Amino acid sequence: MTLHRLAPRIVTANPLLTLSGVTRRFGTLTALDEVSVEVFPGEVLGIVGESGSGKSTLLRLMNLEDAPDAGVYSLNLPQTPGNLFALDRFDRRMLCALHIGIVYQNPHLGLRMGHSSSGNVAERLLIAGERRFSVLRGKGQQALEASEFPLERMDSPPSELSGGMQQRVQLAKAIALEPALLLLDEPTTGLDVSVQAAVLDTLKGLQRDRRITIVIVSHDLGVIRVMADRVMVMRHGRVVEQGLSDQVFQDPQHPYSQQLVQAKL
Amino acid sequence: MTLAKLTRTWAPMAYGFLDGQAKREMRRKMLKAIAVPGCQMPYASREVPMARGWGTGGLQVTLTLIQPEDRVKVIDQGADDSVNAASIRRFLARVSGAAETWDTQDASLIQSRHRVPEERLGADQILILQVPNPEPLRGVEPNMSTARQMHADADYGRLWLTLYEQIVRSGRIMQGAAYPALVNGRHVMTPSPIPRWDVEKLHMAQHLTFLSAGREKRLHAVPPFTSVTPLAFDDVPFKVEAHGSLTCHRSGITGQFMNELPQSDGGALYEVSDSHLGIKAIRARDGEPDTTGPTWYQDGSFRS
Amino acid sequence: MAYVAARGGERAIAEAERLYRAMTGPIDANRVEQLQAALPWLIDRVMGEASLSAPEMAALALAQTGGDLYEAVLVLRAWRSTQPRLATAAPVLQEALFTHRRISAAFKDIPGGQILGPTLDYSHRVLETAVLTGRDFVPEPVTPAADPAPAGQPSLAEWQRAQGLVSALPATPYVAPEDIPDITREPVLFPAPRAHRLQALARADTGGTLALGYAAMRGYGNAHPTVNELRLAEAEVMVRHPSRSFFSAGRVKVSQAEVVSKGRADTLELGFAATLGWNEVKVIAAATLDLNAAKAPKGSPVEEEFFLYHTEPVEASGFCIHFKLPHYVTFQSSLDAMRGASNRDAKGEAPLPVAPAEHQTEPAE
Repeated sequence: MTLHRLAPRIVTANPLLTLSGVTRRFGTLTALDEVSVEVFPGEVLGIVGESGSGKSTLLRLMNLEDAPDAGVYSLNLPQTPGNLFALDRFDRRMLCALHIGIVYQNPHLGLRMGHSSSGNVAERLLIAGERRFSVLRGKGQQALEASEFPLERMDSPPSELSGGMQQRVQLAKAIALEPALLLLDEPTTGLDVSVQAAVLDTLKGLQRDRRITIVIVSHDLGVIRVMADRVMVMRHGRVVEQGLSDQVFQDPQHPYSQQLVQAKL
Repeated sequence: MTLAKLTRTWAPMAYGFLDGQAKREMRRKMLKAIAVPGCQMPYASREVPMARGWGTGGLQVTLTLIQPEDRVKVIDQGADDSVNAASIRRFLARVSGAAETWDTQDASLIQSRHRVPEERLGADQILILQVPNPEPLRGVEPNMSTARQMHADADYGRLWLTLYEQIVRSGRIMQGAAYPALVNGRHVMTPSPIPRWDVEKLHMAQHLTFLSAGREKRLHAVPPFTSVTPLAFDDVPFKVEAHGSLTCHRSGITGQFMNELPQSDGGALYEVSDSHLGIKAIRARDGEPDTTGPTWYQDGSFRS
Repeated sequence: MAYVAARGGERAIAEAERLYRAMTGPIDANRVEQLQAALPWLIDRVMGEASLSAPEMAALALAQTGGDLYEAVLVLRAWRSTQPRLATAAPVLQEALFTHRRISAAFKDIPGGQILGPTLDYSHRVLETAVLTGRDFVPEPVTPAADPAPAGQPSLAEWQRAQGLVSALPATPYVAPEDIPDITREPVLFPAPRAHRLQALARADTGGTLALGYAAMRGYGNAHPTVNELRLAEAEVMVRHPSRSFFSAGRVKVSQAEVVSKGRADTLELGFAATLGWNEVKVIAAATLDLNAAKAPKGSPVEEEFFLYHTEPVEASGFCIHFKLPHYVTFQSSLDAMRGASNRDAKGEAPLPVAPAEHQTEPAE
């Protein structure tokens, strides 16, 4: 584990995720205007911007929950087509279950609140075709453990858990199949500061240990600063600045980024 | 050729009660159901002179199939003499001229509520099961349009999830009757509320089975030699009711599905659920020749 | 036969029916005629729910079932399903209705005027107990108006449309009579064609429609209705004879309600319902459901799938009474699972962590 931590980041030639020229309109509003993104394996990309900047729309497209008006999306995985937006319902569902995990700000979007927490995790495995009860149980337990969820509560439904615990169940569900891509949509927004710190710790630890590729969206620059290797600043559906995390935070170039960073400090 | 020859005499209702148009629709939907095993086919479902929920779906299938030379058996909970079974059988005979029978082996059409007879069915027999709720996903998704989409996607994760949680909670799968089963490796169906004991009888069977819900206007089918696999985990096998060692106090039959009869002394007696199987055994005991055919279960275990 | 069935079977069925029939006694044409004359509103309700305009048949159904409404509707519908379809009548426009009663709550007065027609709306509902002690109740004779109202009335929604208050009707292509969607000959799938929705509401259970419509009115819906136009009328049944001549086969009683909601869009939104027979409560409640359906959340009582499934009188009542049928095989099967689970506990097999009991979902039987 220590070795992992010390290992130098090698940016491989091929990005894991490529979105190019993505445009999404809602009526007369252009939520995304020809946005292009690349994310490399093992990298954490942070997307910041105020509400309405298009960052959550972008994340929903990455999770194939929505289709754009224009643009191409590909994941560098074996046996996946060139443009994921062209997949039919059936293949889309399988691809998401197998390769993409997501944690939403609102746990109601990601969890079945009435089912048990372990069941929420197991469902992921069931969709992927796992039919051994002992494996469902075992792998579910492992994923919950990795999310630092207290195992004595693994069969309680999320509706009986605190906000922080609910986020950990979402995380366990998201990583149960060891996805190629983990999407985090304001994962700690709305939690108490101390809980927020603990959940971020877990996320950070997971990322270090497993080298998962993560895209995290937040309006909170503090969160992005802790998590992200690289930052993308969005405004009015466009990318106004991107660069290494330290760079953008210490020396923002675009007036809007400067404004954001100053407001935060 | 004379006009009289071409003209049929007026009758207050069509042969077999349903008019030709209704039967044609039924035949089309029944053929579709056979073509896509386990997939629910919507149909118009005519009103018949019987309350919805009392076998109107099974009745419409039987009325479409029935011919004067048929021999029809109707059972409810395994019994031929149950009041509703008797009423349906009488109606079928009245509108079709087909003969009534209680003998599983003798019947060409068997309409049943909640049981598959214990004697093996052959290629020349059709089983019609009455279905109250055709949707195995109803418990996890009450909205029929959404459930339809889930079938199209083969999205059965939530159904499996409920089985997972039953084991977590109770140590075993608690689903009693109407145990969901995967048909032909594609569609999950409800086999209607037959006991788990009966589900295996539909698997790779020689006979054709129709399952029809008149109130919900859906029918599905299990064609002969089609796989029917109850949903179960690889390491928690599907189990039928533990009736293999019970003995019928009237007929002495052992190793078939039983009705439990509570007794005033606090105990219970058992009576074979397939009532005509019991009758055959009693007759044989009383000296008549034994006419019992080969049964699916022998000595309490299933023989494929 | 050495074995005698223990249960009553056919004989019990026959005697049970005799007991039931004994309660109503012999039925003759005279009784049917009297019922038809004495209970026009009940006859209308049954005709609407059976979707069959045949007052004498509805009266017979009521006589035969002793007034058990669900039974009456069932017997009438079962008879209806054996009848051939001879022709499809021409569509009826509102202005062509022979209108007996026409009310709008949206305006004080409307083109064509408000016509009260037959109603108890403004009368005191006092029980005429004197009838029981020998003093007959003889209704006051109707005084004909000096200036009779015109038989036909323009449509209020058409006036509103001309004013731009109601959005224009979508252009509807011609549909051949044999291609009109027919709920009695094809299954309803959702989202339902408008024809199916309106046909299902026309056949819906009055009480069920009222319950769900009332829930919508009280705030469980998303639109509050105002009665734009309510009509009790007679509609001409215009059919084409094989010789190509077009003629009226008679008139049928119909009710229709149009309700509007205000303030949700730039224009007024309309909800509509119609049924055979005169049944004001049903058409107002049904039109309210129609109005609310467009923006209804999934699973809410004003969602189309929800209200159409749950207001179907024959299906709902049939399923409700089917629970009287024996279910002992199903019960035995669950009992086995339950005992299996408790044996497991008794044998001290590996305890599994306990999940909450309230989430016990199993496919319904």
